[in-house]
Amino acid sequence: MELADILSQESVIPCAKVASKRQLLQLLAEKASARVGVDAQVIFDTLLSREQLGSTGLGNGIAIPHGKIKGLSGVTAVFARLAEPIDFDAVDDQPVDLVVMLLAPEGSGADHLKALSKVARLLRSEGILDRLRATKDEAKLREILTTPLETIHAA
Amino acid sequence: MIDWIYPLMLVGAGLIVISVFTSLVAFRFGAPLLLVFLAIGLLSGSDGLGIQYSDFHSAYLVGSLALAVILFDSGFGTSLKSFRQAAAPAIVLATVGVVMTTLILAAAARLVLGVSWAEALLMGAIVSSTDAAAVFFLLRVGGITIRDKVRSTLEVESGSNDPMAIFLTIIFVELIVKGVGVAGMTGEFVVGFGTQMGLGIVLGLVGGWAIVQVINRVELEGALYPIIVLGMAVCLFALTGALGGSGALAAYVAGLLAGNTRVRARSTLTRFQDGMTWLAQIVMFLILGLLANPSDFPLVAVPAIALAFVLIFVARPLAVWLCLLPFRYQRDEIAFVSWVGLRGAVSILLAILPLMAGLPTGGLLFNTAFVIVLTSLLIQGWTIRPMAQWLDLIVPKRIGPVQRVGLELPGNAHHELIVYHVVPGSPVAEGERLPRWARPSLIVRDGQSMRYQYAGRIKAGDYIYMFIAPRYTRLLDRLFASPAKVEADDKDFFGEFRILPDRPLEALREAYGMDIAPNVAPERSIAEFMRERLGGTAEVGDRVAVGAVELIVRDVDIEGEISDIGLSIDQEVARARVPVFVTGRELTATLRERLAALRQRRARKKNAQMPTGSDDGAAAGDQPAAETGNNSETKTG
Repeated sequence: MELADILSQESVIPCAKVASKRQLLQLLAEKASARVGVDAQVIFDTLLSREQLGSTGLGNGIAIPHGKIKGLSGVTAVFARLAEPIDFDAVDDQPVDLVVMLLAPEGSGADHLKALSKVARLLRSEGILDRLRATKDEAKLREILTTPLETIHAA
Repeated sequence: MIDWIYPLMLVGAGLIVISVFTSLVAFRFGAPLLLVFLAIGLLSGSDGLGIQYSDFHSAYLVGSLALAVILFDSGFGTSLKSFRQAAAPAIVLATVGVVMTTLILAAAARLVLGVSWAEALLMGAIVSSTDAAAVFFLLRVGGITIRDKVRSTLEVESGSNDPMAIFLTIIFVELIVKGVGVAGMTGEFVVGFGTQMGLGIVLGLVGGWAIVQVINRVELEGALYPIIVLGMAVCLFALTGALGGSGALAAYVAGLLAGNTRVRARSTLTRFQDGMTWLAQIVMFLILGLLANPSDFPLVAVPAIALAFVLIFVARPLAVWLCLLPFRYQRDEIAFVSWVGLRGAVSILLAILPLMAGLPTGGLLFNTAFVIVLTSLLIQGWTIRPMAQWLDLIVPKRIGPVQRVGLELPGNAHHELIVYHVVPGSPVAEGERLPRWARPSLIVRDGQSMRYQYAGRIKAGDYIYMFIAPRYTRLLDRLFASPAKVEADDKDFFGEFRILPDRPLEALREAYGMDIAPNVAPERSIAEFMRERLGGTAEVGDRVAVGAVELIVRDVDIEGEISDIGLSIDQEVARARVPVFVTGRELTATLRERLAALRQRRARKKNAQMPTGSDDGAAAGDQPAAETGNNSETKTG
């Protein structure tokens, strides 16, 4: 599974204006809800309860909120680039401005974790954060995210 | 008439001095120090500088004495915490593991050396135990922190497996001397094992208790405490041996007991024993080196090196793997425990026994054992650090180095006098305040001492004297540490996400849908669950696998509670570096999968025979069977 398969063009929010973690999760839930047809409130609650287990802020301004949703057909991602960084209780206490949300169907054990580790690994690759922060163009953002890791390393 | 005394002393003490000086060079090259001592002994011996020494009896005497000192100290230095954490797996390794190693090696020895079964078993037994001195030294002095669980296992194992090897060697020597078959020895074996180990443990406990009583109740001149402790330890070793028990085990147990009880003047004791252990090791290796004739080695070199390879790559890994199967060890951890199977002085010491018994193959066994020990020290001793690095078992440093000295206070005070040297860049030097409980009393700055109240801001280079309860040093260390370099692979080690330790297990299961053991209450906190899985104590870097993810201890507070947890979800690369050593968990998982597939096949067959049977069963059966995809293999059942 590649990120290209689960992150559609419409799921890229190039310049999200949110003031808090709650608002951000709300926005992500609504966006996902529109795509997959699951109640936004359900998605929001799932994301929030995962955050209560410990923040999904990875540090370096990145967060990967995630959760399992009943009735989802496959793993789905939403990317948001925030206009202003917000506090996310991240590991390094840095505010967050790049967010990849991942939703997986209930019972998709390995796929969920595979997607998570793939995204986490991708966001740790060299220079990608600067490139993501440098553009507001939806198509370009998606392209940066979906370029396979090997080509990034080669560049 | 007494002319011979001076050359003897000169040579003996000279060798010791040379050995100590060589340690300077050895540290620089990362060479295993014990190998250097052994080499000096070999070089000065009959084939080198020409010191003639071939008295097996005195060598065995000196070696045993040194062994008593080393084992007592290794018990003394093992904290009850690590003992508890690793006792079960380590004891299995020290008993069953030693027997397995012996057997596997015996099979190889019979083939390679062409000796009888009894002699082959003897050969196996001689080199069946790991060397406490070598393992301790390489794990502690290497300047690296290995994952706590692994380090404890190795330390406890190496400290406690010598008695078993000694016992086996003596039994097999007797067996050959008496000329009875292996079958005739079974009864004797069991009884002998019981007496040796039973007496060793009981007398060790009694002796340890006696030592503690003497230290704490008898008023002596300060410098005499270490002497009486050491004297009593050797007495215990001798007495237990004389009564037919295992003196080595008694010395280790007594050390363990004494080292973990509140005793007076602990720091003096520790320092003295450190020194004595060094001396014991140097003397033991020198004497054993002198005893051997390297010119005899080429004769046995090929079979001996072959045996060493069997030991390193087959016998030890296989024994370790089987012994650790029931415990929760990861592949990489098992691999490392296998690799740190260093043989040392004990093996050479035991190889003297056949010579003393006058066995015709004694020389062959001695030389073979010697070459095996050399090979093991060379190959394994030199590569422990790179191996630990490769297997990702080194705990990244959270704080930089700290410079402090602690001083125990008389009168059983619950405080310690601690002196920190303020290093540039440390939080206190950057203006961080000292907590009130630290009771800073004196500052030494530029050679002048002043009261803390009047010293003003703490500066780099200051020495700060304070009285604190020892358990708080961990907290203070952070304040006085030089800035640590943040490791690049921090995320690999501590996991991508951070988990709050006080959240219930249930929340974790909800988020990731993993299986948690059914007997664990879901409302328990994650920290509690981890601590229990880790055997009661947690150290930074310890890992607990839950389903497909891993929980990692990120931080521990001064009470020993887990205060920060990482969650690793890395699925991309296979986590284990080594393809072998299937863990117990993986084995049961595979078995369960196979069983399920088998059951489904049966159910399907039944359905095929009875087309009217429920659709439900067939539908449920189809899906997972396709997933496992190895139907043909499960047919046999």
